[in-house]
Amino acid sequence: MFYVPKNAIYKRIPRRKFLELGGGVATALGAGSIAVGLSSVVTRNPVQAASSDDAKWKQYSGTKLVFMSENTPPSFAIRENLKPFYDLTGIEVEILTDDLPVVQQKVGIDLRSGKADFHLNYVQDKPIGAPFADYFANLNDFINDDTLPQDPDGMGADAWFENFLDACGTMYTRDRLIAFPYDSAVACTFYRQDLFEQHSPDFEKEYGYRMEFTNDTTWKNVYEFAEFFKKLRAAGQDVPYGYAQHQGSFAWTAQLDIQRLMFAHGQWTEFDVDDKLGSKEPGPTRWGDEASVFLMEKWKELADVAHPDNLANDTLQLNTVYQAGQIAMQVQYHEFAASIEDEKTSRAAGGKTAYAACPKGEASWIKNGGQAVNGTNCGIGGIGINNNASDDLKRAAYLFSVWSTSKDTQYNVLKGVGGTPTRKAVMDMPGVKEARQRPTDMPNALTFDAVYDYGIKDPHFVLGPKIPEANEYYQIILTEVQKCLSGQQDPAATCESIRDQVDDLNDI
Amino acid sequence: MATQVLSGGALRGDAPGGINPVGIMPGFVTRDGVTVLEREPAVRNPEPSRRYYFYMMAPAIITLAAISLYPFFWLIWMSLHDVDVMAGDKWIGLKNFERLFTRDTKFSNGWLLLIQYSALCLFFEVVLGVLIAVLLNRSRWEKVLVTVFLMPMMMAPAIAGLVWYYLYNGTFGWYHWFMQSVGLLGETSILGSPSTAMIGLVLVDIWQWTPLIVLITLAGLKRVPRDQLEANMVDGAGEIRNFFQVVLPNLYPFLLIGILLRFMDNFRFIDSVLILTGGGPADATNILPVYLFDVSFQYFKLGRGAAIALTLLVVTIILGMFLVKIFDSPAARNVGRTEG
Repeated sequence: MFYVPKNAIYKRIPRRKFLELGGGVATALGAGSIAVGLSSVVTRNPVQAASSDDAKWKQYSGTKLVFMSENTPPSFAIRENLKPFYDLTGIEVEILTDDLPVVQQKVGIDLRSGKADFHLNYVQDKPIGAPFADYFANLNDFINDDTLPQDPDGMGADAWFENFLDACGTMYTRDRLIAFPYDSAVACTFYRQDLFEQHSPDFEKEYGYRMEFTNDTTWKNVYEFAEFFKKLRAAGQDVPYGYAQHQGSFAWTAQLDIQRLMFAHGQWTEFDVDDKLGSKEPGPTRWGDEASVFLMEKWKELADVAHPDNLANDTLQLNTVYQAGQIAMQVQYHEFAASIEDEKTSRAAGGKTAYAACPKGEASWIKNGGQAVNGTNCGIGGIGINNNASDDLKRAAYLFSVWSTSKDTQYNVLKGVGGTPTRKAVMDMPGVKEARQRPTDMPNALTFDAVYDYGIKDPHFVLGPKIPEANEYYQIILTEVQKCLSGQQDPAATCESIRDQVDDLNDI
Repeated sequence: MATQVLSGGALRGDAPGGINPVGIMPGFVTRDGVTVLEREPAVRNPEPSRRYYFYMMAPAIITLAAISLYPFFWLIWMSLHDVDVMAGDKWIGLKNFERLFTRDTKFSNGWLLLIQYSALCLFFEVVLGVLIAVLLNRSRWEKVLVTVFLMPMMMAPAIAGLVWYYLYNGTFGWYHWFMQSVGLLGETSILGSPSTAMIGLVLVDIWQWTPLIVLITLAGLKRVPRDQLEANMVDGAGEIRNFFQVVLPNLYPFLLIGILLRFMDNFRFIDSVLILTGGGPADATNILPVYLFDVSFQYFKLGRGAAIALTLLVVTIILGMFLVKIFDSPAARNVGRTEG
């Protein structure tokens, strides 16, 4: 085709060689494609309603699934122990784990692009469930399918702890169920019982009541505890700060942090919608009303007596601060109890820490006429199925959803790496009841009284706001509250700025 | 040495070994002392047709279009739509841009912070880079020290971000402890205050990228003409005057390359910022690329993200062209030439 000089110094490639090379490249590309494609292989052995349970579990033997999860204890534990599932079903599952924001991006791109690289997704209730609710398969279809095996303890709301199925599975409508509760992080109070007991007499002299934590301990009490410790520090005593906030760079937990205070006082919520259901059109926000401005002032006052590095303390960092003995109290998620009780890494271990419900609302701080409650919120991580996958892959994925949230699996995780069960039946498993008291080999169980027996129940539990723009909403809250806490704007201006931005976000 | 000048016909058949067998360039002096003045093939190839050129260029054009032009036009298309896979993309004209320029304070704030961040990084990196390079140049330990200085640059920005996150940490960070001990910081960590967080980021960037300026400057220093230095010294110049009158002007094009590279990097690399502050606290470090990332991949507002990306791209191109124009100026081109 092209002119080639007779004495060209480069080496010619004969046609045969060229074809060989082309064939080699094509083979390599083909093999690569097959290798990539193998991650989503599905094979099916048809079963009927009357088939045995064993046949139903094995109907997708030979299938390969990918589960994209946050790096939580259950995912680590299950990844290390997938053999029972493989033996049961013949399905291979690859579990990929990453930090929540990364999972959110990867899952979001996969779902929104119409792909199904991840057949199973970690559905962290608001950050992933709320924005992508429409992209997950409706699990009700599988629950009602008698050709699929079901958990003997059931998959309905009664099988899980109160409100858990609503938290991660119900978004905007009760007609669809997008996830089963897979793990949980529920807020409760961690406090240094040793320090509280040591300083209680002095505290009582000054404030007129004992320094202790009960279900009736209010946010006003928390303020006074923190103020007391700060005064001791100012007087030169070697004591930690009393309290610290989650106001670092993790926007979601920063929003949850202030939400607990707001909800505790009259069950204040951001929007006038059903908190458990959420809404795609939530309407005007309540930010900027009298109650929100007043409580923002209280939040600022709390920050002023708290650990000075509040704006760098995201959830993990705050826990590190507590482990290091730099604060005497934190409102933290109950999954962190295991790290607090680890004597190798924590100065708060060895019986020094006690666990209680989240602080209650102070009656005199309520401006909306509502009830004072122990405002408790959560991150209920669900497991959901990518609706872009083929029907067979979705059915195969359902098998893993059922197995991974079963009583036995959750019990093994709780014993092994300190999981946080979502099924009620786990509480009746051997040793769990005893583990709620010290000494314990399941340190997370020390929080169960405060969390499962109290905090998650109505009227204390707040699930929302479930809105499609949840992640941008969190960022607005974080930025404006940080401006307030750092003295750049006053509480009223903060609430007004939040209101304007949130209403703009929701096209009001 | 006898020089035989060959031209025209000599190359066609008289030269030993036949006609210019390995394609010797005109002006080249061969081992035999023959200066080749021109080269003419024995048989002229026919002038290729336009179609020939088209075939030759087609693979490159198609590849370029696939990897560059298509995403560019797709970006423009997205910026004019409300992108939603499930509901379908909706044409909204310039609304994304209208929002950015009329009521998105994070957008305007992001630009200001980006300019501030880039300016601070560039200033300190250039000053320190030149200083370190001058000190290292021709020193006994030059090679060893250059290797040591280059190590931060070899680190992935995300890893650098993690390392510094731990060093700055208010609970166990060694740098935090040090800065607190010498009174530079109170109990609040450098990343925990809106007034110091940007400084924290700039320090990381300086630490990681000053070596690049050192490397480029060292290359420039090797090419400073000795005759100029000597002439200046004959005129009574000392070390410092020599530096400003001869060395620095000769470094001009090299520094421009460094500035151009770093400038582009600062507009692109957000790994360490995301790890260290995520744009906070209180948006104090929310430079535009970080905001772009949040809008696109945290909020999944791909249309708005595309609009931000487009403005960033346009400004980057304009500033890049401006820098290249300076680079191409007579002042820059004449550096290193001895007058007369």
